[in-house]
Amino acid sequence: MCGLAGIFSYHYAAPQVDRDELQRIRDHMAARGPDGQGEWFSDDGRVGLAHRRLSIIDLTERGAQPMATADGSLVVTFNGEIYNYRVLRQQLEDKGYQFYSESDTEVLLHLYADRGEDMVHELRGMFAFALWDSRKQALFLARDLYGIKPLYYADDGWTLRLASQVKALRAGGRIADDLNPAGSVGFYLFGSIPEPHTIYQEIRALPAGTTLWVDATGPGTPRPYSTIAGIFTGAQGAAESTSLQDVQIQVQEALQDSVAHHLVADVPVGAFLSAGIDSGALVGLMRDAGQSDIQTVTLAFEEFHGRAENEAPLAEAVARQYETRHTTRVVTRTEFEADMPKILEAMDQPSIDGINTWFVSKAAQELGLKVAISGLGGDELFGGYPSFGEIPRWVRTLAIPSRIPFLGDIFRRIMTPLCRVTGHNPKVAGMLKYGGRYAGAYLLKRGLFMPWELPAVLPRDTVREGLRRLVPVEHVDALLSPDPRYAFARVASLEAGVYMRNQLLRDTDWTSMAHSLEVRVPLVDATLLRRLAPFLCRESRSTTKQSLARAPKQLLPSEVRARAKTGFTTPVMDWLQASSVLKPWERVAPLRSTHCPWARRWAYTIGDDALA
Amino acid sequence: MRMLALVTDGFGGAGGIARFNQDLLQACSELDEIDEVVVLPRYGDTEHQSLPQKVQQLPPQPSRLGYVTGALKAVRHAGPFDVVFCGHLYQAPLAAILAKIGGGALWLQLHGIEAWMGPSRLCRWAAERAALVSAVSRYTRRRFLAWAMVTPERVRVLPNTVHDRFQPGPKPQSLLGRYGLEGKRILLTVGRLAAAEQYKGHDKVIGALPALLGEFPDLRYLIAGSGDDAERLRGLARSLGVEQQVQFLGDVDDKELVEVYHLADAYVMPSTGEGFGIVFLEAAACGIPVVGGNRDGSLDALVNGQLGAAVDPDDQASLVRAIVHAVESGRRPNAYLSRFSRSNFYGQVQRMVQLIDNPERVLSV
Repeated sequence: MCGLAGIFSYHYAAPQVDRDELQRIRDHMAARGPDGQGEWFSDDGRVGLAHRRLSIIDLTERGAQPMATADGSLVVTFNGEIYNYRVLRQQLEDKGYQFYSESDTEVLLHLYADRGEDMVHELRGMFAFALWDSRKQALFLARDLYGIKPLYYADDGWTLRLASQVKALRAGGRIADDLNPAGSVGFYLFGSIPEPHTIYQEIRALPAGTTLWVDATGPGTPRPYSTIAGIFTGAQGAAESTSLQDVQIQVQEALQDSVAHHLVADVPVGAFLSAGIDSGALVGLMRDAGQSDIQTVTLAFEEFHGRAENEAPLAEAVARQYETRHTTRVVTRTEFEADMPKILEAMDQPSIDGINTWFVSKAAQELGLKVAISGLGGDELFGGYPSFGEIPRWVRTLAIPSRIPFLGDIFRRIMTPLCRVTGHNPKVAGMLKYGGRYAGAYLLKRGLFMPWELPAVLPRDTVREGLRRLVPVEHVDALLSPDPRYAFARVASLEAGVYMRNQLLRDTDWTSMAHSLEVRVPLVDATLLRRLAPFLCRESRSTTKQSLARAPKQLLPSEVRARAKTGFTTPVMDWLQASSVLKPWERVAPLRSTHCPWARRWAYTIGDDALA
Repeated sequence: MRMLALVTDGFGGAGGIARFNQDLLQACSELDEIDEVVVLPRYGDTEHQSLPQKVQQLPPQPSRLGYVTGALKAVRHAGPFDVVFCGHLYQAPLAAILAKIGGGALWLQLHGIEAWMGPSRLCRWAAERAALVSAVSRYTRRRFLAWAMVTPERVRVLPNTVHDRFQPGPKPQSLLGRYGLEGKRILLTVGRLAAAEQYKGHDKVIGALPALLGEFPDLRYLIAGSGDDAERLRGLARSLGVEQQVQFLGDVDDKELVEVYHLADAYVMPSTGEGFGIVFLEAAACGIPVVGGNRDGSLDALVNGQLGAAVDPDDQASLVRAIVHAVESGRRPNAYLSRFSRSNFYGQVQRMVQLIDNPERVLSV
């Protein structure tokens, strides 16, 4: 885990690295790494790398970062975990590489020395790192396939700055204030900022699954080394003849393998537990992997007491089943209101979600946990969202009418005012315009505001320029390259590449890191995806959430397996509605409408604060 | 690689942009990657200036129509070109079309204020087609990226370089006598006095003079350059009672420029509209302490305040402090100047040429 930072004065005219600035960037991320801090500067003062450490593997000083090779030619600062580091280390030792620590960080250095940039293909885990190669006089950046760990960089034309958080880069004090209209528009369209955009023009996210070189010319173009759509595309037809029984065995093995890998740590690994299949099955698999002492935590709300939304009773049943040390943490409205300023402060970029992860992370921290397993990603992997059924259905129905020129626009223009009167969801008006292709249908399904609604919440210039730069449908469509053809694989690629990447994983990162907690996500794992993709792409798909439910040797309680999906609900919406201070949305007419979905008001509350 | 260069001012031209173009084209011509450079200037007569090897300059075409015709002819008779270099944003539409016709890559150079605000839709269309944009400063790059939809890694910074003829030297007796400046301490600003622009900060310096005279009663402020803003500045000096201390030199002959710098104890230009501010480098090369603004491209020439002081032009107290400090620190060689050496400039031009040859360039591993 941890927070990384760096400054590279790549241009000959640029001043040497300002050490105070690097420290400001690094120490803004103190919560990401409370256990230690370090910095390293090149002899010529043109490169500085820094690190805040949350020690989880090799707790000694030998695991401290930035870490250099013995000859000093390679230096790395790294955030994340490499779950297969022991195997990689063994291979490298066999080749004669000498190790001085027990850390996964050192594996990165020698693996780079051995394979160069192709090293990223060998890494299993979540990672973002910056590696200085003094022989090449170049900086190598990389980020994991799913984008679990963040990496942002800002290039002003002379100097490249990088950090795990946007706000940390800003804390350095050298980033221009200019807002990025594509970031603002993206936020209102999706509820989170679509990468590579950020709300600032100068700061960009290194896209998930890419690498980037920076040398004396400056940063090059980020290059993808793998994509989710590519993994699905490569897997098609590979398992058509496997028997259903074999499929379940292989799925089970793959899940066990992923969970076992995600337990690698020199500190205890706990788990977030809800009433759902994902987290429950993971706890069962943790038990199967041999972990005897498991600490689990569930959120509960007084408002839900005795209601179906209350997850506590079922979660407690799961905890009893797997004999965990279980805590049900009650969150009250008072606590929520007290935490709200801290939440907004920690929120790295505007987001309409993350409140629940904030509190469950807080609860885990109170229990002394440094690492927790989360079931995040189960719906994206096993098709748990309604979108997996709806989007292909819409596309089938609307593919032909949506191709009739202007029809989509005409329908949209007629329907928009009608929807306002009838109280229908404004997205209905966009069905013909967007519903005929996957990317458009996805925008409809997941979109918060529709493009034509944006002038209500943003200045017209920002909307025009933002849409011109973002091109939302094309932006989404880029995730379907190569096209995985199967409906399931298409929706899965979009859900993992948009919603999970920009919303769920980002929210999990800033909320957990604010509590110095590392969240691990065994269902968001490239190796697991490669193993399951052939089964997920089968003509007659039998690999579903139930495959996950059946994976633990000791089955989940039947109530959990049979429970209809509710999502993880909280009474936060009611609390926010009732709050007297958080009401800037009342200034905006369309948001005052009684039909207005609450998420839109909340988005405006967040956006008004962050994008002004 | 064959390159067609569309420039406002080519070899034989005068002024900052002409100088930049000449440096750039000279650097290009010395690269192995470049086989030939054909230059089409609007202004610039090569009668008195020899051309670098590999460079051919077509006759200047001052009229718009003549220029377009000349450019089309150049492509027809001397083309095809691998690269079309466009030396000024307002020529970008023509350059983009020529690049499209000829199948070459467009390289757009940005200087300053012309690239700060969103231009016409046509210019924007053209600029967004550039395979490579080189901006003279970080500030110009940032302002350009605010209106142009170009991936940031295609926009690089190529700063000015300073010429060897700017060297430290004693105060020239002839000029001291001519302007009656014996025994005076001297502040200097070199630049246009354009009423429509008013961004160089002459008025800020005049405004600071009453306070400065308290420190240095023998102070003189020399304004080199001419333009229609002179009257306003004279009026301002009168109203502050410092008209005796402000001297307008008018246009300075290029041959005398170095000597004019040598007159100064401090070079002061709290500008808010510099693309880069080559004059800061020229003054610093002459050993003169410099004071500039901190809101525009000046920050690049001033290396964030390391080569010279960078102050908020609207903060008179800071300006006064910085000028006093500059005058008191005295004239001496400037250690930061070597950043803008010719060899660094040539190296950067080579990187630009390699980039345009391979925009998706990645390091070989």
